[in-house]
Amino acid sequence: MKQLQIPIEYKTLKNGLGVVIAPDTAAPVVTLGVYYKIGFRLEPQGRSGFAHLFEHMMFQGSENAAKMQHIKLINSSGGVLNGSTMYDVTNYYEAVPSNALERVLWLEADRMRALKVDDENLKNQRDVVKEEVRVNVMNQPYGGFPWLDMPPVAFRNWANAHNFYGDFADLDAASLADVQNFFRTYYLPNNAVLLLLGDVKPDEGFVLAEKYFGGIPEGAPPPFADPAEPPQKEERRGYVEEKFGTLPAMAVGYLMPARRTPDWFAMAMLDQALHGGRAGRIHRELVLEKQVAVEADGGIDDIFGYNGPTQMTTRILHKPEYSSEQALAAFDEVLREVKEKGIASDELEQIKVKWRSDYYSTLEGGRGGYMPRYGLMHLLACFTLFDKEPGLVNSILDGFLNVKHDDIQRMADKYLRSENRAIVFRTPVSKDAKEAA
Amino acid sequence: MATVVTAEFSNMVPPLAPERAVTWPKRASAQLANGLKVVLAETHSIPKFHGELYFRAGNALVSERAPGLAEMAATVVRTGTTKRTSRQIEEDLRRLGADLGSSAGQDTSAISFAGLSEFSEPILDLVNELAREAAFPEAEFERERRQKLEEVKLERSSPGFLAGERLRKVLFGAHPYGIVSPSEKQVAAYRREDLLETYQEIYTPENALLLLVGDFDSAAMLKSIEKIFGSWQGKKPAAKESVAPPRPQGRRVYLVHNPGSVQTQILTGVHAITRKHPDWVRLGLTNSLYGGAFNSRLVMNIREDKGYTYSPRSGVSPLQQHGYFTVSAAVRNDVVAASLTEIFYELDKLRSVPVPAVELADAQNYVAGIFSMGLATQDGLLSQLSTVELNELPADYLETYRQKVRNVTSEEMLATARKYFDSANMQIVVVGERSQIEEQASLFGPLEVFDALGNTLS
Repeated sequence: MKQLQIPIEYKTLKNGLGVVIAPDTAAPVVTLGVYYKIGFRLEPQGRSGFAHLFEHMMFQGSENAAKMQHIKLINSSGGVLNGSTMYDVTNYYEAVPSNALERVLWLEADRMRALKVDDENLKNQRDVVKEEVRVNVMNQPYGGFPWLDMPPVAFRNWANAHNFYGDFADLDAASLADVQNFFRTYYLPNNAVLLLLGDVKPDEGFVLAEKYFGGIPEGAPPPFADPAEPPQKEERRGYVEEKFGTLPAMAVGYLMPARRTPDWFAMAMLDQALHGGRAGRIHRELVLEKQVAVEADGGIDDIFGYNGPTQMTTRILHKPEYSSEQALAAFDEVLREVKEKGIASDELEQIKVKWRSDYYSTLEGGRGGYMPRYGLMHLLACFTLFDKEPGLVNSILDGFLNVKHDDIQRMADKYLRSENRAIVFRTPVSKDAKEAA
Repeated sequence: MATVVTAEFSNMVPPLAPERAVTWPKRASAQLANGLKVVLAETHSIPKFHGELYFRAGNALVSERAPGLAEMAATVVRTGTTKRTSRQIEEDLRRLGADLGSSAGQDTSAISFAGLSEFSEPILDLVNELAREAAFPEAEFERERRQKLEEVKLERSSPGFLAGERLRKVLFGAHPYGIVSPSEKQVAAYRREDLLETYQEIYTPENALLLLVGDFDSAAMLKSIEKIFGSWQGKKPAAKESVAPPRPQGRRVYLVHNPGSVQTQILTGVHAITRKHPDWVRLGLTNSLYGGAFNSRLVMNIREDKGYTYSPRSGVSPLQQHGYFTVSAAVRNDVVAASLTEIFYELDKLRSVPVPAVELADAQNYVAGIFSMGLATQDGLLSQLSTVELNELPADYLETYRQKVRNVTSEEMLATARKYFDSANMQIVVVGERSQIEEQASLFGPLEVFDALGNTLS
């Protein structure tokens, strides 16, 4: 068995900025990322959707690079860029020919130092974000299902339960003062990590990181609102109308153990037994064997990248001739079998091979052919921000490969309980739509 | 390579360092005695490999029998062979750390796969089995057919699907490209024998192309391939003549009424060129500057300046026989007319005013730069090689592409826009709530209204 080892170097600048470098000179391409340890979980109450709106504002202008120059500079250097807001982190990243490394560093440092935006920029991006919400959620069949439908049903702490894309009234209420305040509070070198991957020599990379980021002053450690949930005692259910789609849908989410605990490693393997593609038990039973469902998939979303309550979620679109309760009963039957009999030893061995293979692919790519090493960047960032240990990227695989056969049944029994789950039913409202189709 | 730094950037912006040469990996290619073409490229980024087994025919070849027949055949291919059941296939893939998909488009069918290098032989064994000995088990076929029935109902609830479907009908009419998906009735009428016949016709070595990229030794891999695929026999299917597509003249508007829409999907399109056409590089660059990149004119205008939309873009879709150029944006209902005005304004501007040197250089850097990103991942490189091989582009295509991009002049760009950004004959599809957008859309040409099933509404 050939184990992949990624060379990694890690330093922390005086202002608290973590710098992680993973060199690989095979192609003259460098991937650069800046991760801030703030996501939509901890955005201010009354400002749902703000962390994401703010992420858009980071492309609207900084001290020495006016609106559009961020985008122009990267594209005209032959590279691509984007950003994304997640539960507990927000990232900004670029992949460029390596001769553009220094200007990308300059750009990221410039917007870490000072954001320079006005009301017009805010109004513009508020409009853009609303269209983003419409195109991804409000005007799409099963839009936001279940990632926006599940939190208010499953969770009680506002941090975990609110609308992460934002209620339009909250987006409208967001002001320029909110933008600058959020920036001052969270967008600090001591709340961030810089990642340089690919065609960069570590020594030069650290010198450049110091040159561009070393002078940015650190700030007071950001407040950390505890996202812990009160204990759940019974199953929770919620109902959402489906405006466009033709099939009844449901999502079932089970609370996960904390990251990097022994249970967490074992749950990941159980998740693969249940959701691992067409060989996974849920797809196999519901779609291929019993043929109750048209789609049945799911898993633990971004397993390395969360830092608060999260779930393993199954998403099912089932045939209209079955009631929701019948579909749920078929799903429960799959879980009951694992709880009673566990899984076959051979099944676990297959899962481990597939897991290792998938892990390598995650490190190499993850955002299509134009964003090399996105996955490696993401894992290094999360392991640095949450664990202060980027080297986990090379060692964490063993934790999964060492899961024992008995652990699987034990996990199923311990976590796949009704008092540990929430269910969202998303039901088509329009009878007409169904008949017309 | 000298690069123009635009004057508007602050003088604090660090200049670009000297460019490192882009070296594309060597490709080994071979043709087996049975006609199978093989192309291999080594890249050792991770201990895996990625592959495609392409067949040079898809839905278009068999469209007279039924739309989507090659796609349905591809779906059922993975559900059983003479040696393995559906469940065995899925579990074997997992055991080998492999992913596999079987699919078909208009012009090709493909078995796509990736897996751990240590299991390359058993993975190729399975691919070989699917290509030669798929059994089309009756029960599996029946399940997949019923699945497909639900899928073809469901896709009609997606604005993007409805827009694409209508545009293809308008641009391609009775040509096979005019239909993107079968109707419920057509799916209900699929028969196992038709699938089997399609499979036997299309899945032959003489019609096939095997591409592998990844962590392997090419010489050893070629030997494995010879051993596994060498005894396969079969001729390529007879070529088929398709009717010529219409060339719609004058702008017309096609409104697909999607009740309850809170946004309007705009999709405009006009005939363009295939990937083999000598104008391809020029059109690709012109498209990039118009609406193919984040810093393109269209995105700057209707997103970053006006805030009408999140996701504007333009692109050239090259099919084997014909290609077409499209512009799309999902916009607020009250700015449908305003958005279309800007879409056409930016097209016409490129048709009338030469692109400034600095902007041209920026676009050239962008297109050349992202082309090289394909080098950095196995699937990125595989997709580049697929383009080269499926379109029978010259052997030095990867090596010379960037220079060709950088050779394009502002005058050529103007000529390209005049030739292909044919705004006067561009067809306009809008998908949304009729009551909110019909009046706005009708400003742009004679308008017809359809429902989601394609029926004309009065």
